Amino acid sequence: MTDEARTDDAMIVLKDLSKAYKVGPSTVRAVDSVDLEIPRGQMVSIVGHSGSGKTTLLSLMGGLTKPSSGRVIIDGINIWNLSDKEMSQLRNEKIGFSFQFASLMPTLNAMDNVSLPSTFSGRPHDNSRAVNLLKLVGLEDRIYSYPEQLSGGEQRRVALARTLMNEPRLILADEPTGDLDEETEADILEIFRRINGEGVTIVIVTHSRAVASQAERALRMHRGHLSEEADVGASRP
Amino acid sequence: MKRLGLLYLAAQNLRRKPFRSFVTIAIVGLAAGTLFSATLLIGSVDRSLEVGMERLGADLLVVPEGYQESGQTALITGAPTSFYMDGAVLGQVSSISGVDQASPQLFIESMVSSQCCTGHVQIVGYDPGSDFVINPWLAQNLNRTLNPDEVVIGSLILANKGEQVHFYGHNFDVAGVLDATGMGADESVFMSLDTAYLMAAESAQVAESPLDIKPGTISSVLVKIAPGANIDQVSQRIKTTVPGTMVITANELSRSVTDRISGFKRGFIAVDAIVWVMSLLTIAAIFSMIVNERQREIGLLRAMGSTRRFIFRLMLAEAVILTAAGGIAGIFVGGAALFIFKTVITSSLGIPYLWPPILTFVELTFITLSLAVFSGAVSSLYPAISSSRLEPYAAIRQGE
Repeated sequence: MTDEARTDDAMIVLKDLSKAYKVGPSTVRAVDSVDLEIPRGQMVSIVGHSGSGKTTLLSLMGGLTKPSSGRVIIDGINIWNLSDKEMSQLRNEKIGFSFQFASLMPTLNAMDNVSLPSTFSGRPHDNSRAVNLLKLVGLEDRIYSYPEQLSGGEQRRVALARTLMNEPRLILADEPTGDLDEETEADILEIFRRINGEGVTIVIVTHSRAVASQAERALRMHRGHLSEEADVGASRP
Repeated sequence: MKRLGLLYLAAQNLRRKPFRSFVTIAIVGLAAGTLFSATLLIGSVDRSLEVGMERLGADLLVVPEGYQESGQTALITGAPTSFYMDGAVLGQVSSISGVDQASPQLFIESMVSSQCCTGHVQIVGYDPGSDFVINPWLAQNLNRTLNPDEVVIGSLILANKGEQVHFYGHNFDVAGVLDATGMGADESVFMSLDTAYLMAAESAQVAESPLDIKPGTISSVLVKIAPGANIDQVSQRIKTTVPGTMVITANELSRSVTDRISGFKRGFIAVDAIVWVMSLLTIAAIFSMIVNERQREIGLLRAMGSTRRFIFRLMLAEAVILTAAGGIAGIFVGGAALFIFKTVITSSLGIPYLWPPILTFVELTFITLSLAVFSGAVSSLYPAISSSRLEPYAAIRQGE
């Protein structure tokens, strides 16, 4: 992997980052000249209206979409200088994604879904870690259940366990508690807080001010522009 | 503890849509089965022809005028027939320039009645003094000539060596069973010419239905031409010198079989080509559908760290599993169908048939399976490449 533009203590550095889409004859700048630095171990929330570019920004951070211009530096690595194999390895080993929809593989049971990231890492297969993670999210009795046998909240918790499978140092969560009841939302936020306490950097995109308030730093997206949001850490325990 | 690997994921994905997987397997199976069974049939006919013609050992066959067709049919399929001509034809044929050896045969059609005969078969009387068809086999296997009460039988006659067969009031010991040729000889019973004349002569007293065959009468003359002689020229000389006869050349006999099967071959090529093209298009369409349906999953797998290569191989693996299953099913069903309907097919087409050696089976199985898998891989190539090139974020969003 390349090791350029290292900024000490920064897990994420975005430099003049833009992403534009062609929509018919016009061009939409979903992310427009964003500069950002997120230190290791920080929990950051990004709020904004629908269509403001939050999810696109998160995808740019995770290397899921290529920027139109600018640089994405994760843990000191300019990720768009990587080959597909290196980029895949980086996603697999360093980044955990949590999506705003039930993102489980329908043909795999809960344990296999959780274990899936280890398939791509080349590590020895370790079911015990998957089982422990399912315990962590309170689903130790649903290890062999298939997604269709789980409720929406349970599916999200299995997906969260999967996010943690390879012990990522960065978690990118897109509306991780959307559509969930308050109790499940609280459980998931508690898990995020716990792993953040272990030094994992977490970026959460959310509509919810309650979720945003859990972060020590909040950012706001508005028409592709990113700005700092004041007074968000107040409710963080 | 199972390992979550490429093949496991591919197999799990295929189990998700069992009907679609079944249809894909069925269509590939149809293509593979058609190819396997038809190629096996054609190969078996060719092999039978090769072995049968070698056993016949003759370059020309002289028969009475008007019996060319039934003579050919008797030689090819063993369909019992009887036609006769004067034994003097043998001398006339032998004296023709270019003829090296000539040997007479007498054809007697046995009766269906069990009281008369051991099955409805072709009885062939041969001349031990001049024969070059049965004698070499006897020399190699019995090391003696046949006794008057002995016969050798074709491989499809329902009797074993040492048992007795019954024809026109006479019991004959089976001195040996000829190796299979797939041709008419397999359903024929061979006895010496003198034995055949004797059986015919005594049939009036001992048989349910007497035979009307005068001693010295023959049905055909097998001819070997001299080295360097031209078959067509010798054939022409016989036709002009020996009136009332027709000549069947070995080439004509082969061509007759080839002609009988050529329509089948053309039909098979057309049908199988259509089925293969359909199969390729179906697989391509199905895998395009699969890629569209699973865009989000593909995006998620990429987000979890799978490489493009992994996605490509996953799609390819699914296609290969399906087509391999289809290929195996097709080979099994096609082979079984040929085995079951072999008699119906060969008798309706009037063709000889000899199962190929096991090595040919293995080769054909391997080729058919390889072709099925290759077709699956080729037709799923574009969807597999497309899926591997999907940008993860776009794939996840488009799957929403």
